[in-house]
Amino acid sequence: MIQRLLPFLTLAALFIGLALASPHFLTSTNLSSVIRQTAVINIMALGMTMIIICGGIDLSVGCILAMGGLLGSMAMGAGLPIAVGVVAGIFTGLACGFLNGLMTTALRINPFIVTLGTLGIYRGTALMISNGLPVHNLPPAFSFLGEGTLLGVPFVLWILLVCAVLVHVLLEHTKLGRYAFAIGSNAEAALYAGIPVAFFTTAVYTIGGALTGLAGMIEASRLMTGQPTAGQGYELQAIAAVVIGGGSLRGGEGSVVGTLVGAFIMGLLSNGSDLLGISPYLQQAIIGAVIILAVAVDELRKRKLG
Amino acid sequence: MLLELKGISKKFGGVAALRAGNLTVQGGEVHLVMGENGAGKSTLMKIAAGMYRPDGGEILWRGERIGFARPADAAAAGIAMVHQESLLAPHLSVAENIFLGAPPLRGGGLVDRQRMREEAGRLIASHNFPLQADWRVDRLSPAGKQLVEICRAIQRGSSLIIFDEPTSSLSESETREVFGIVRKLRERGTGVIYITHRLAELRELGDRVTILRDGETVHTGLLAETPANRIIQYMVGREVSAIYEREPVEPGAELLRVEGLSCSPGLKDASFSIRAGEIVGIGGLMGAGRTELCRALFGLDAPEAGRVWLGGREVKIRSPREAVAAGLALIPEDRQRTGLATALPVGHNITMAHLGEVSRMGLLKLEQEREICEGFIAKLRIKCESPKQRAGRLSGGNQQKVALAKWLLKQARVFLFDEPTRGIDVGAKVEVFETMDALARAGAGVLMVSSELPELTQVPDRILVMRQGRIAGELPGRSSQEEIMKLAALERKAEA
Repeated sequence: MIQRLLPFLTLAALFIGLALASPHFLTSTNLSSVIRQTAVINIMALGMTMIIICGGIDLSVGCILAMGGLLGSMAMGAGLPIAVGVVAGIFTGLACGFLNGLMTTALRINPFIVTLGTLGIYRGTALMISNGLPVHNLPPAFSFLGEGTLLGVPFVLWILLVCAVLVHVLLEHTKLGRYAFAIGSNAEAALYAGIPVAFFTTAVYTIGGALTGLAGMIEASRLMTGQPTAGQGYELQAIAAVVIGGGSLRGGEGSVVGTLVGAFIMGLLSNGSDLLGISPYLQQAIIGAVIILAVAVDELRKRKLG
Repeated sequence: MLLELKGISKKFGGVAALRAGNLTVQGGEVHLVMGENGAGKSTLMKIAAGMYRPDGGEILWRGERIGFARPADAAAAGIAMVHQESLLAPHLSVAENIFLGAPPLRGGGLVDRQRMREEAGRLIASHNFPLQADWRVDRLSPAGKQLVEICRAIQRGSSLIIFDEPTSSLSESETREVFGIVRKLRERGTGVIYITHRLAELRELGDRVTILRDGETVHTGLLAETPANRIIQYMVGREVSAIYEREPVEPGAELLRVEGLSCSPGLKDASFSIRAGEIVGIGGLMGAGRTELCRALFGLDAPEAGRVWLGGREVKIRSPREAVAAGLALIPEDRQRTGLATALPVGHNITMAHLGEVSRMGLLKLEQEREICEGFIAKLRIKCESPKQRAGRLSGGNQQKVALAKWLLKQARVFLFDEPTRGIDVGAKVEVFETMDALARAGAGVLMVSSELPELTQVPDRILVMRQGRIAGELPGRSSQEEIMKLAALERKAEA
């Protein structure tokens, strides 16, 4: 039991430790900056949670984020309303995720390989469309998405909460979620039970893509530019958040709450290192060590369970 | 005497695979080892080849006590095994596989590839094998792969070679090829142990025969002095404890009709029908096409010929989903791999196949689901803490009940049970039979594939016996074990 709670305890300990160690930590400016920084990774990680539960992986999410942010920004830059731009970004992500799912299931290629390939394809496409140049002429009101405040908390926190509740309901209260767990836990048994495995696997990648498209719009709003080079390395952070939160790359395991905790642990580690003046080089090493430690502890717990 | 195995015993996780395995082999002898599926033949041979360590008994090699810690020890002593499923490195060449583990070296520990190729080539040529040293092994036929394993055994100068059911995956001409090699080995004074359960292969080949039953050696003798009937008797044994007595019901309308179903390579031209209320048994040896029949019916493999009718309507089943929609249920042989998601809760497994029954517009009705699961747990007497317990933590029998409950939520019309009692204890077996009986009484058709002769003779109303991919014949319920075994093991000409 104590081991199952370990991610939560770690997060709490980290929070209390930082509150004691730095007078700048418990300020609203700092906390909202942590939330804003973490939200993008967090929303991507929610999609990744579903994909990993389903026994898959998506290495292309960083590039999907760039595609979504870029195309959404271009739509707004061309004079379309902000809402249309945001929806365009989400749909771009959705289409990219759908392609990943389709290739994984129809061509029966390992998702690691498929998304390694689309990682290059999506990034290359984003660079080609934009000629490698960022989109700048965004409507000023668009900054509300990433930087605005609603009822005293950052607007992105509301978006994150809505997405988290949505994904939680999908996973725990719908057929789709149940099938995702079944496919990830034992794809063969799922097939034998008559579950349309290919359809639901594709659906999961598609939802993951849509969430990443949304994250791309938030990223674009925070920078007020549509960057074709945005999101590099984000895929690994998203995967790390899922894994720290108890998701298993073997599939069949993972939860929304775990992933949120995982993402915030990484966010706090990074924020804390900044506040305490720890070198950013060392930060990366610390986060890497935490990932390995988290998985090691989780494996230990599972082995005990048998 | 080359090898003597005395009173060998071996347990796997509490289940005794061998209790008293005895076997002696001389040089220049072909010794057949026979027995039903699960009699302990392969276990005994793997102990001789150093792949398992025995729990009890002793091994004498050329008259001296010996213990093999690993396969390399047995290989060094001169024992080689040609496996049923090839244990070769598929991406390497024939020569590399022949010398796997002991390649010829030159200075500095480097492999002498040229010498390896030449020696392999010479070895292949001296036996006239249809192989070439530089061919890749994964391109070879099953027979070709076995030839490579045989070459490896010869190259190492093995004085005893064990063949584990070598011909079960081979064509007739390939089988003759293997027989020719076995004879040649005998002429050179090599000892040969040959596991088989096909009687027709016997006469052509063997000198002596040892028969195992339930992990014990029950007979050893000269093959010429042991008629086929006696061998069958030894294999199936005499004692038939009454496991289950079923009151047959008057069969109703025809539920499932299959005509000319073929699915290469394992299934050829199968035709049969099942009526409501019937339990039809399917017997046969390993590799006879029983699982292939289930797979083809359930849409897991695409048959190349044949028609299927369910409830009088012709159906085309191309996927398990269509099979489920048509009213079929498959309880597969391998629960861990295909029957259950063992890491998921019992409840999730129970509702997996028919989630639509406990959801509305894609949303699950969790409260109703829990009640339904608790209902099945009580009805089938599944021993578990709660529907939330992981399915993998239950005993084999309880896992089987969960795999079955999956299909009861929305009752199927025809149930395909593939080895429903594998790995479960006697009490749970009876409960599985009771459930099958209840399903039949409620108007379903039941197909029951089984390797357990006693239960085949007692449970089904009719027994279809398969042999080499075909339905070799049909027997009435309560036919004797000998009758089933004869149909399953004897070639047509031997029957006459």
